[in-house]
Amino acid sequence: MTIPAQALFVIDLLATFSIYVIIALSLNLEYGYTGIPNFGKVLSVAGGAFTVGFFPGRLLSLMLKIDPKIDYATRSHEVVTIINNFLEKNVLLSLGIFFATLLVACVVGAILGFIASYPAIRLREDYLAITLLAMGEAIRIIGYNYTPIVGGTLGVMVPDPFRWSGGLRYVTSTLFISLIALIVFLYLERLVRTPLGRTLKAIRENEDVARSLGKDVTRIRTKTIMVSSVIAAVGGALYAFHSGNVHSLTYHRASWTFWPWVMVILGGAGNNVGVILGTFIFVSVRKFIIFYKGYLSPFLPFDVVWLDLLLLGLALIIIQMYRPQGLLPEKPTPTISFDKIRELYVSKKDET
Amino acid sequence: MVLKGIRKSFEGLVALEHIDMNVSKGLITMLIGPNGSGKTTLLNVITGFYTPDRGEVIFEGKNITKWPPHKIYNEGLVRTFQIPQPFKSLTVLENLVTAYRENPGESFVKALFRKSWIKDEEEAVHKAFKILKILNLDHMWDRPASHLSGGQMKLLETGRAIMSGAKMILMDEPASGLNPKLANEVFSYIVKMKKELGITFLIIEHRLDLALPYVDRVLAMCRGRIVCEGEPKEVFNNPIVVESYLGG
Repeated sequence: MTIPAQALFVIDLLATFSIYVIIALSLNLEYGYTGIPNFGKVLSVAGGAFTVGFFPGRLLSLMLKIDPKIDYATRSHEVVTIINNFLEKNVLLSLGIFFATLLVACVVGAILGFIASYPAIRLREDYLAITLLAMGEAIRIIGYNYTPIVGGTLGVMVPDPFRWSGGLRYVTSTLFISLIALIVFLYLERLVRTPLGRTLKAIRENEDVARSLGKDVTRIRTKTIMVSSVIAAVGGALYAFHSGNVHSLTYHRASWTFWPWVMVILGGAGNNVGVILGTFIFVSVRKFIIFYKGYLSPFLPFDVVWLDLLLLGLALIIIQMYRPQGLLPEKPTPTISFDKIRELYVSKKDET
Repeated sequence: MVLKGIRKSFEGLVALEHIDMNVSKGLITMLIGPNGSGKTTLLNVITGFYTPDRGEVIFEGKNITKWPPHKIYNEGLVRTFQIPQPFKSLTVLENLVTAYRENPGESFVKALFRKSWIKDEEEAVHKAFKILKILNLDHMWDRPASHLSGGQMKLLETGRAIMSGAKMILMDEPASGLNPKLANEVFSYIVKMKKELGITFLIIEHRLDLALPYVDRVLAMCRGRIVCEGEPKEVFNNPIVVESYLGG
């Protein structure tokens, strides 16, 4: 079955948008709600993707009794071809391996989050940001130079858990990714409308005062980073499955740390709906620029490959100058609706 | 609360030395002293924000020295800050409810199950409204705390401290920046809370004329030491205290 080019464009847009929604929302939990400046977002994203590059291929290789002499890290294309031929006819196993890998990615994300939280307990904003930035760089460099993880300089192919859907493979993959993005959004929206969400905001506002009011700031920050890293790792894992391969250089700080930051700031830190809007604008504008940059090339005094980055950087500066709170500023997230509180505790006389 | 031999220094500069003191239960004790005498440092040591070099802080028979602030809070020992520090983006009501102790909804797991925390939350809101009414802030419950005046922010801080179900509240200059009328109102609330809720207060205050009629005991500090303690009149007539203020 052939999908028209326009439909492919929309599917690709939706997949990229959904993956970035997951990652930007995870950053919003850390930065927007808790005030943790995670400039190492790529750490957990790469952790999730590397899990996909490392785990399912080897597991299936064992399960299918593929010749152990074939080294997965260096000859993944051979192994994955055999695996994919098998997965094509086995939907249950495909989905099983997909969800099992996501689960392992969650564990990896949590561990990386815990490691990242170690300086978060001890350092304040700017020093913490620099340390996390360095940690994010480290994982890419390790992945690139240590072949057994994800194939080093060559990268690895990964098993395709959606092969069974044939020509609709990308549609199926996109649907799964979108569904998981929706679950992440609903989870975080629920979380911020709880006493915990309020406490996260209190810590963001003033951690010393939060401490003086009995909040174990260290523990809460650690858990926040861990939860956020789990979510981002899922995003990274989904991207790896969707693209069908893992190469450490793909997990660059610009794409997986700075862009999510732009999305959060553009949409409105501390507002999940705003972040989704910011992500949509960012991803759409970028896709359109890439799609049409051939037409724009004659009119530009510089190489067109820099256009999207220049425009997005410019958008960030304009937003910071004229609307620093983002397109959709933060709104109250009460645990009990204002109307119900009014009904229960505020008499009409008091209101007048 | 009992302090035994507290010492605190900062890179050789001794801020507190040989601090021995008792704060009696159910009374309002005022801590006075000229600027730089170590009052706020002492408050930071008691509440766990600073770790003393030596000495002990005993609260209700428990040695709470070197405990982290949140743990000390959970023992019922709560502080307010010299400059009011509300959570500005939260509403007035949310500021109070945040101080509610051991809310199950603050757990990452339980938070997802509304049933596990909604009763506590409703109780917290109910209690918060009672306090807001006492403090005459109930009409502003849904406004962001950033919309309050300086005096109202002071009251909000006091409200947060009461909200915790504190046994003892340490207040750092509750009347600073307030006009005399509002300052008197704040102290009237403090006396009311002492009488109605049995809360013990340790108050740092510079505006002695305003605070004096409301306090039961006074401790005077100078250069990091307690130099005098007793009934308010007794302390104010003490020549060391007079010299500390006028000559120190």
